[in-house]
Amino acid sequence: MTEILVVDDSKVMREMVVACLRALPSSEFAHAGSGLEAIEKLSLKRCDLVVLDLNMPDIGGIEVVEFIRGQDTLKDLPILVVTTRGDDTSRALALGAGASRFMTKPFTPEGLLVEVRALLDLPGL
Amino acid sequence: MPASFDAREFLAGFLVEAAEHLVSANQNLLAVEAMLQKGQPHPRAVRDLYRSLHTIKGLASMVGIEPIVDISHAMEAVLRAADRGGGRLAPGMVDVLLKGTRAIEEAVGALEHGRPLAPAPATLLDALALLPAQAPQAAPSSEETFTLDPALRSKLGLADKEQITQGLLAGRHVWRADFVPSPQRAAEGITITTVREAVGRIAEIVKVIPIQRQSAPGIAFALLVVTDADVMAIAQAVHADAEQVVPVVQTAPPPGPEPLGAAEVERVGTIRVEVTRLDDALDKLSALVVTRYRLERATADLAARGADVRALAFVVQENGRQLRHLRAAITRARMISVADMLQRVPLLVRGLAQQTHKQVTLDLQVGRAELDKGVADRIFPAVVHLLRNAVDHALESAAERTAAGKPEAGVLRVSAHEHGTSQLELRVTDDGRGIDRDKVATRAGRPVPHSDEALLELICLPGLSTMDTTTTTSGRGMGMDIIRRITVDQLGGELSVKSVAGAGTTFTLRVPLTVTIIDAFLFMSGNQRFAVPVASVEEIVDLEGARIASWPRPGSSTGVQTRILDRGGTAVPLLALQSVFRLPPDGAGRRAILVRRNGELIAYEVDRMLGQQEVVVRPLEDPLVRRAGLSGATDIGDGKPTLVVDLIGLGGSLLEAEA
Repeated sequence: MTEILVVDDSKVMREMVVACLRALPSSEFAHAGSGLEAIEKLSLKRCDLVVLDLNMPDIGGIEVVEFIRGQDTLKDLPILVVTTRGDDTSRALALGAGASRFMTKPFTPEGLLVEVRALLDLPGL
Repeated sequence: MPASFDAREFLAGFLVEAAEHLVSANQNLLAVEAMLQKGQPHPRAVRDLYRSLHTIKGLASMVGIEPIVDISHAMEAVLRAADRGGGRLAPGMVDVLLKGTRAIEEAVGALEHGRPLAPAPATLLDALALLPAQAPQAAPSSEETFTLDPALRSKLGLADKEQITQGLLAGRHVWRADFVPSPQRAAEGITITTVREAVGRIAEIVKVIPIQRQSAPGIAFALLVVTDADVMAIAQAVHADAEQVVPVVQTAPPPGPEPLGAAEVERVGTIRVEVTRLDDALDKLSALVVTRYRLERATADLAARGADVRALAFVVQENGRQLRHLRAAITRARMISVADMLQRVPLLVRGLAQQTHKQVTLDLQVGRAELDKGVADRIFPAVVHLLRNAVDHALESAAERTAAGKPEAGVLRVSAHEHGTSQLELRVTDDGRGIDRDKVATRAGRPVPHSDEALLELICLPGLSTMDTTTTTSGRGMGMDIIRRITVDQLGGELSVKSVAGAGTTFTLRVPLTVTIIDAFLFMSGNQRFAVPVASVEEIVDLEGARIASWPRPGSSTGVQTRILDRGGTAVPLLALQSVFRLPPDGAGRRAILVRRNGELIAYEVDRMLGQQEVVVRPLEDPLVRRAGLSGATDIGDGKPTLVVDLIGLGGSLLEAEA
C-alpha cells in the first residue's frame, strides 16, 4: 500500500489532488491542513510521498521541506511541491531546500500522475 | 487516462473557501488601514492578505475561473512586493485593493447564482498595475532585545521579533513551551492542531517551530507565545510540566515605537455545510412532522371507534418529543453567529463614509447570539439600509458638527444582542441631527408627529423620503416601509424608533432568532381553514354576548358595516375575515381573534376555532398567490394546503383602506 500525504490549508485543493490521484493503484491518502500537522503526521506514521503546497499559514511549505530534510528518517522521502504560476522564487527556494519535483497550478490529473508515478518509481501508462 | 477529475465538482467548495478568504482579506485591509492612520505598518496582516489572494488565485486557476485569476494575480503582485518590502502599504493602496476584493466578491456572487461572468474589469487591473511595485521601505528592524535559543531565533521573521519585543515592552509574558507529539497522544486526539487551538485561546501565538528533540529521539514543536495567562495555563495547554515552559525575557533597554496589535484568529472545530443541504434536511423533517399529524389523527379515529389506543398513544407522544428534539438539532445547525452576519458592516460603513465625505466612527457591539440563516438573510438588508440612511441623512458634515459643538466624526453604533431567549435585538444608533419631524410631516401631508410611535408611522409610509434629492448611497435600496415589512410583517418582530432633534436617532429591531416551524391556531372562516401564528395572537374572544356597535360605512352602497367591539372600555375595530378574502359568508362568526398592531388591537371575526398545533410554514414564493396578509402555506396532515394568515400585516392594509 502506498501512503500519500496531501498537505494544503485549502480543503478543496486537497480534495482536487486526491481526485487527480485516484487512478493510482493501491494508494491511501492522508490529509494535513497545515505545515505543522504535516510534520507531526510524518513523525508518527510511515509515508511514501508528500504532495505539498508552499503557501500556508503557521509555517510555509519551504520550512516543511527544510525540516523534513533535516530528519534522518525522512531525508529520502519524495516531496512533490505544488506552486502557483508566477511564483518562481518560492519554487526555486523549495527546490533549493530539497524538494524532489514541482508542479504548477493549474495542473491536470495527467500531469500530476506523471510526476507522482516518477517519484514512486511506478511504471507509466 | 480515466476522466477522474471534473473541475465543476469542486466549484461549490471553491466558492465557500474564496468567500472565507475574502472576508479575512477585507478585515486585514481594514486592520492595515487602521494601523496606517497611526503611522504604523501591519506586516502580519499584509502577509495574511498576500496568502489569501495567493490561495484564491491558485484555486480559481484549478477550477478555471479566469476573471478571478486575473484580479487575484494583480492583487497578489502588489501584496507580494509589500510583504517583501517589510509589510508596508501606502494609504492609497488600500482603496484599490478593496476594489479588487469587491470585484472578486461580485464574481463569486455571480457564480453562486449561476449568472454569466464578466471578464475582469480593465480599469481595476490598470489601477492595480499602477500601484507602486515597491512599497515604501519599512523602518529598520528594532534590535533584538530578548533571550532565545539561536536555532529558534533564526526561524523568526521581522514581524515575529517585533511581536515579541512589543509584548515584553507592554509588560506581558512571553513563553516558549514545547509540545511533544506521540502516537498515544494522537490516538487520544491530542495533536499540534488541537494544542495550537487551545493555546490560541489564551495567548497570541508568535510562531510554532518544529525541532529535533535533544533529550530523546523524535520531534517536538516549540510554541512562542505572548500572553497574560500564567505559566500553569500554558503548560496545561501544551500538555507539559510548568518547569518545561521557559520565559523569554528582555535583555536590553527597549527602543521605541508603540505596541503592535496583532490579533490571532481563534479557531474552533467546525465543518462547513452548504445551506441547501440543511434546507433539504429541514424539508424532510417537515414531511415527518406532517406524517406525525396523520398518525395522531388516525390514533384519534381509532379511539373514537372504541379501540384501546393507550400503547399507541404513548408511542405517538414519544415520537412527537423525538421530532421536537430533531427539529431543535437541525435548527441549531442552521444557526449562524450574529458576528458573521454583521462582519461586512465595517467595510460598508467605511465605503459610505468615503462616498459622503463624512467622518464616521463605527462602534460595533456584537454579542454571542446566533440566529437562523433564513432570518439573517432577511434582516441584514434592513440593517444595511438603516446604516445607509444614518450616514447619508442623519450624520452631519464635519463643519456642521463642529458648529453644533459636536466632535467632527459622527458615531454610528450597531449593537446586536439576544433579547430574552427567542429574539435578537438589533440597534442602529447615530449621534446625528435627528429626524426633522416638521419636514417629514410636510412631505407626508400629515400632522406633525409628537410621539416616536407616530413618527415611525410617518416615516414608514411607502415612498416617503426626507431628502429632496436621492443620493448616491440612499437613492437606491429600500425604504423604511420595506424595513417594517421585513421586520414586523415577514418575521413577526418589532420595529421602533427614538429620535431627538440635534442629538441623534436609534432604530431598534427585534426579530425572532428562528422562524421555520411555528405554533399556530387553526380556525375556519368562510368554510376555509386558516392558520395564524400563536405568537401574533393577543386574545381569542367569544362574540356571544359581546358588546358590538355597528353602523353603515359612509358612502358604501353595499351595506358594508363598520363595527367596533368593546373590550373592557377599549374600542376595537372588528373585521370579518371572510369578507376580506371575499369568501362566501356562512354566518357562524362566533369568535374573534385579537392581534396587536403597533400597540392597537384589531379583532377578526372568524367562524370557529379548530385548535392549536405546530405547523411548518412554507413561504409563498409564487407572485400569483402572494398577497398582503398571507405569510405562507402549511400542510397539517390532510394533504390540503392551509393558508397561514398574517393578521397583523393584514390589519395595516385594511385600516388604511378604511381610513
